[in-house]
Amino acid sequence: MERFVRSESAGKKDAVALEQCIMEKGKPATSGSKMLNNFTAPFDAEVVSRLNATDTSIAGRVEMREFAVGGSFFDTQFGSPAIEALLAGDAGFALCSDVFGEIRSKAPMAGLAYIHPTYGSVSRYGLIPLAASMDQIGVLCKGLEAGFQLLSKIAGSDLKDGAMLSEKEYEYTKINRRLRIGIPTKIVALASEADQTAIKSFCANFETENIDLTHFEIAKQVMTILAFAEASNNISRYDGIKFGYRANEYKNLEELYVRSRSEGFGLPAKLAAIMGTYVLSRDQYESYYEKAMKVRRLIKNSFEFDKYDLIVLPLSISDDAYENLSLYALSPLAGLPSVSFQYEGQGIQLIANSKDENALITAWEVAQA
Amino acid sequence: MKYEIVMGLEVHVELSTQSKLFCGCSAKFGADANDNVCPACAGMPGMPAVTNQKAVDLGIDAAIVTNSQITRTMTFDKKNYFYPDLPTSYQITQWFAPICRNGWVEIETERGKKKITLKQIHIEEDAGKMVHDARSGTSMLDFNRTSVPLIEIVSNPDFRDAEEVIDYLEKLRALLSFAGVSDCKMQEGSMRCDVNISVRPAGSEKLGVRTEMKNMNSLKAITAAIAFEANRHIDAIETGSEVLIQETRGWDDDKGITFSMREKEDATDYRYFPNPELMPIVISDEWIERVRSSLPETSQDKFVRMTQTLGLPEYDSSIITRSKALADIFDQTMAHFDKPKEVVNWIIVELLGIAKGDNKGEDDIRIDCRKFADLIRLVDEKAINRNVGKKLLIKVLEEDVDPENYVKEHGLGMLTDTSLIDKAVSEVLAENPKSVAEFKEGKLKVVGFLMGQIMKKMGGKADPEAVKSILQSQLDQL
Repeated sequence: MERFVRSESAGKKDAVALEQCIMEKGKPATSGSKMLNNFTAPFDAEVVSRLNATDTSIAGRVEMREFAVGGSFFDTQFGSPAIEALLAGDAGFALCSDVFGEIRSKAPMAGLAYIHPTYGSVSRYGLIPLAASMDQIGVLCKGLEAGFQLLSKIAGSDLKDGAMLSEKEYEYTKINRRLRIGIPTKIVALASEADQTAIKSFCANFETENIDLTHFEIAKQVMTILAFAEASNNISRYDGIKFGYRANEYKNLEELYVRSRSEGFGLPAKLAAIMGTYVLSRDQYESYYEKAMKVRRLIKNSFEFDKYDLIVLPLSISDDAYENLSLYALSPLAGLPSVSFQYEGQGIQLIANSKDENALITAWEVAQA
Repeated sequence: MKYEIVMGLEVHVELSTQSKLFCGCSAKFGADANDNVCPACAGMPGMPAVTNQKAVDLGIDAAIVTNSQITRTMTFDKKNYFYPDLPTSYQITQWFAPICRNGWVEIETERGKKKITLKQIHIEEDAGKMVHDARSGTSMLDFNRTSVPLIEIVSNPDFRDAEEVIDYLEKLRALLSFAGVSDCKMQEGSMRCDVNISVRPAGSEKLGVRTEMKNMNSLKAITAAIAFEANRHIDAIETGSEVLIQETRGWDDDKGITFSMREKEDATDYRYFPNPELMPIVISDEWIERVRSSLPETSQDKFVRMTQTLGLPEYDSSIITRSKALADIFDQTMAHFDKPKEVVNWIIVELLGIAKGDNKGEDDIRIDCRKFADLIRLVDEKAINRNVGKKLLIKVLEEDVDPENYVKEHGLGMLTDTSLIDKAVSEVLAENPKSVAEFKEGKLKVVGFLMGQIMKKMGGKADPEAVKSILQSQLDQL
């Protein structure tokens, strides 16, 4: 599969690349899977309509990990075609769907930034879903200021997505508020010395508060269980019957299903299907899915944005990618906006309260000054 | 030994919404295959489900008329299974928090009144249809019904015989159709009923082996299926001829038997989980009140109005109020012609008579009520006689003619000119000396024959009252 499918506007400074999960009418939308190699999008995603309505050029389509399942812990060979497109100058931005933190973790290393907006602020109409309770289109950009400008073009309620916030539009601007930053000291202590120094230097611009993020360690399990469960359900529609890949040979319906899925799905989709089906099965539901939902609520309730405006996190606390997943699980699980960017040569992640993207911009600008 | 039959019902009713439950496609019955399909209900990715609020309103209606407790925070959940007619491979239903629970419906049989209690009602989407073409050996899919909204009304095992089941279904049909929830047509599949049945020795507390019966598409079929299945269970218990197992059985209407469809329904793991695309729906007091205050008259209220305010007989009123279609015809006709007894008679005697002759159900009667009212008025005002009126009714039903124009154009107006009638009577008496002789011998029944001859001579248009009195007076003078 091609890592970048160019459009006419490829190479323009402000052109936007789209991950293969974002549909453009009449163009293939593979979501990174052989299963959808022959699937042509029947309509434009809402974000595409809004880009068109604001005369924003589309640079092309970038390849992605199959259905955005997994992330760096899955395999490290894959890289990120979206980041490559920006680095190669093919696009100025990319719209991505990053549940597992793949792009959030890698963008700062490449000198880029990533905005993961508040859950429900950008329409998922036309986004091939991974996990609807976490799916959120975000912006890969060279600088956060330009990134938020692009975000303001695509954010805002859409009646075609039943799980959206009511705000019709968003204005992302710097605010005159003295920001307090919550520092989860136990987590930061696990980061490299260089990262710790950068975080300390960043926080020196603000009032700070040492905090304890309860349930942090378990966030990775919670997210894996819930995202795989939802993904197993979402990809079960790819059965070889109506569209997408169908096996050449089958004797009956059962075989049509089994062969089409065995041949059409890659390892990430198969893993999600098997794990997700397991945690949703009648005998396991209480122990896994239901319990994970409860812990997810605890995680949501563990944030105390009356005590701080932002939480700062490193982008790595272990050599084990799965251990690092908790760093990226918090904002999708709680529906909170976050940004990751480079500061003094190191990657930093900030998480803000729901709909408080302006605290993120402001903190970033203050630290630049 | 005496046995007791224990039954519980699962009734699926299609909601009368314009569009589907989670997309904007038309929910109308009878379109060409796959005409009412969009990417969402064809199972393509990328179209998030958006709940049709009208369907929730109708669900609340159903909850109110079945005396149910409405769930204040309800969810939609996903039920997973693979089948080609289910394009997303999951059905959106309500598993964890259905729209209402603990309702009841009162039925009345020869043994008196009884409350049938309901476990719950939930809203869900329908599946599509797979059609097998035997000649080509292929299967084709029609997704028109995919995602059409349904409610499933689940009763407790409160039924003890088929009479109770039938009365419950009729009550339910009246309640839901008058409330505008559904048109409840069993033939078109907008009302479907699965019967869970088990048999135990009378007096026993322990329930017998339960089977579920599907595919009965009329009340008659349900009665027959219950009789067959109950006998099968009793035979099995008494003779040990077969071992009863928990299974789903289909009803074969031609053969009059049930047959095994699949075993151990409980073994299927549907992996239910809350639909993450849809927020839980909070049903407020205000919402319920808004729905309640816009509920149309119930069949019970209408019955009271017909008998008490309009002074109509209970028998007539019960016939009209058992069907939403008839009640609508009554109301709409009354709006143009305000004589209730006349209107009721024309509906019950003539309209239903014609429908029965045509093998049509009450709900399938289609008539322009203004024209129907005009026709009744013409008869009532003696502009045409009753027999002409009956023939005219068929014209109105079949060709939608305008009664007044038709009467004028075809000269069907009632003849009341006594000199004309007098002449016709004289002629008929002169032509039938034998009958006249019989009359003189005291055989009064020839009067009817003579009446008929006179009416025939006058093209059926004479005023029968006038004919009768003139004939009488001429005979008396003989």
